Amino acid sequence: MSTMESPVIPARPTTKETAPLSRNRRRRGVNREGLEAGKRSTRTILWILLAASLVLYGFPFLYLLFTSFKTPIDTIAVPPTILPKEWTLANYVNALGRSGVPASFINSIQTAVISTGLSLVLAVPAAYGITRYKTRSGRIFIMAALVTRMVPPVAIGIPLASMMASVGLADTPIALSIAHTTISLPLSIWLMSSFFEAVPQDLEEAATVDGCSRLGALWRVVIPVVSGGIAVTAIFAFLASWNEFLFALLMTAVRSQTTPVVIANFQTQFGLDWGSMTALAAVYSIPVILLTLLLQRKIVAGMTLGAVKG
Amino acid sequence: MSSRKTLSKLATIGGFCTAVALVATGCGAGGPASSESGGSSINVLVEAGGHAELQPIADQCKKDTGVNVNFVELPYDGLFNRLSSEFSSGTVSFDVAALDSVWLPSFKDALQPIDELFTDEAKKDIFPSLVKEANVGGHFIGMPAWTNAEIVLYRKDLFEDAKNKADFKAKYGYDLAAPTTWQQYQDISAFFTKDGMYGTDVKGGVETEYLAHVLQAGSPMVLDSNNNVIIDNAAHKQALDFYTSLVKDAPAGAAQVDWAAAQNLFNQGKTAMTQFWAHAYRQIPKDSPVYGKVGTAPMIGGSAGVAGVPGPWYLSVPKATKNPDAAKKFVKCAFDHNDLAIQSSLGLASRISAFQKYQDQPGYESFKPLIETLNAPATATRPATAKWQQIVDTVLVPMLQKAVAGGDSTTLLADAKTKIQALLK
Repeated sequence: MSTMESPVIPARPTTKETAPLSRNRRRRGVNREGLEAGKRSTRTILWILLAASLVLYGFPFLYLLFTSFKTPIDTIAVPPTILPKEWTLANYVNALGRSGVPASFINSIQTAVISTGLSLVLAVPAAYGITRYKTRSGRIFIMAALVTRMVPPVAIGIPLASMMASVGLADTPIALSIAHTTISLPLSIWLMSSFFEAVPQDLEEAATVDGCSRLGALWRVVIPVVSGGIAVTAIFAFLASWNEFLFALLMTAVRSQTTPVVIANFQTQFGLDWGSMTALAAVYSIPVILLTLLLQRKIVAGMTLGAVKG
Repeated sequence: MSSRKTLSKLATIGGFCTAVALVATGCGAGGPASSESGGSSINVLVEAGGHAELQPIADQCKKDTGVNVNFVELPYDGLFNRLSSEFSSGTVSFDVAALDSVWLPSFKDALQPIDELFTDEAKKDIFPSLVKEANVGGHFIGMPAWTNAEIVLYRKDLFEDAKNKADFKAKYGYDLAAPTTWQQYQDISAFFTKDGMYGTDVKGGVETEYLAHVLQAGSPMVLDSNNNVIIDNAAHKQALDFYTSLVKDAPAGAAQVDWAAAQNLFNQGKTAMTQFWAHAYRQIPKDSPVYGKVGTAPMIGGSAGVAGVPGPWYLSVPKATKNPDAAKKFVKCAFDHNDLAIQSSLGLASRISAFQKYQDQPGYESFKPLIETLNAPATATRPATAKWQQIVDTVLVPMLQKAVAGGDSTTLLADAKTKIQALLK
């Protein structure tokens, strides 16, 4: 037994030995604190940048909103003021009480909904065909779709108005919707193509193995996967129609005038009614804000679709 | 599966909305279309500001003639494009259009003659320059609906201040009063340019005021009666030199000042005088620091006397309308009840008798100077050329902007002549 070696118990470090250890720990602590401080400062900078961007993007809208509560003389103050000196709702009463405003809202909704529907109905199969079949004609088609975006709208506005009149669609929301679709469709095809590209083809193949037809796989498998992308595309198409002015100016009259034209009517040859104009513009932006909030999750999902593609 | 359910729900809602929208499309939200309107209902295309002028007339005409009027309002900047588009297609969505005077030559081939409405009695009650302008190519193609002209608006409170009066007389040797000549306008502008205030504005962004000075200097505007370009004559140079001489007594940035900016400056109390369209007098906001303190005077005069450029709008009937009888009935009715327009927010008319009816009533102090300016012998309408708007946009306004920024007037006018000649070729 004497030969048995007693287990080696590590000796407690002496005070002299502990000193470097604790220094290391302190150093690690300091490093960690430094790292956290670094993270904090990065985060602070990011927050400042975020706030600055928010102000940059949000200020015009906020200024519009504040102007809508100003008195007539406040709206034309030299130099301009940001906040109203005296708050008033008179501009809203005047703007919403103007004849034709409720009708123009209905026309805007009709036109935007029809245009969005048309864009999606045409863009989804077109984009799917282009991305899945990858033919030469498909590539030419998608480039050609982009070319249509390069033509100034005013160049096609007047011929389009004449064409609609000749087929008996003058002054109808459907005519304006078709015109708006010419704006949103190329963008919708491009957007949907990028979303379809992000969906692995294996998913469709698996669905086909399980007995789905090509269209069945598209409807049951692919479209649910790209629903976020469809939401994003729908928002863009809706906004393109909702805010469009030139075609609405050229193609609408008594029955189908949309709100952007009515808003522009506050600027006349005899003066500019800033208060009422901004009040109506503020009200007109509410549906878009609500729609964006409602579809926020889908939009984020759509935006990040394909972001982690290997 | 949940996303599929969501998608199905969205598809159902979307489909339902589209169906509703498509169904609703047939009837539209605004009212009947032109083609559906029938003989007793017409569509009137009007610049947004003019709607208020015509609404009381339309109400009266419905009672008198049974013609129901639907107004199609459009902003000024888009109205010309819309008219061009519809006239060129041969299908129009309106039965009557309110046209800016400068557009009449451009659209003369698409408009019906309305000579029968210009009776001797009617002509006597319309300002002479307007009778002349409405006649394009030997036919009357537009009935004046309302007219306007620049007059002088000035700060009555400052002009009546005893100290100002005494100081002005001591400095210039004559009494401080509303200016009637170029020299007086220059003196008064210089006098009030102090303590953060300016004597007047100078509008580099619009051309009408400069053209009025050309008339005051005794020359037709830009083109003579044979359509020769005369913009480099002595009168044009005198007028331009006078125009730019006021820059030192006006707020900075004259090159960008247009009607809206000039009106704002005056209503904010930053300028003591402005030459402005007469309607602005009734549009001074009640909470403006100058409300109730503004006086009016006719446009100033040069060597040829007082002169202004009228700004009338005409009611015209397109050849392509499906309701020519109802359209003409409305145009005649609008002339008969022209004075009703004066009670609108814009407060303008076209008949001399309509202005005279109100000229002595409180709130209409701008009417006497307006009548005087419109009746002045040197007052004339703009040249009747289809290229006028193009000349204004591409030559006159850029030339004025360079002039008020310090450009040499002789060189600028010579350049302008070359450009206008090229446009008219």
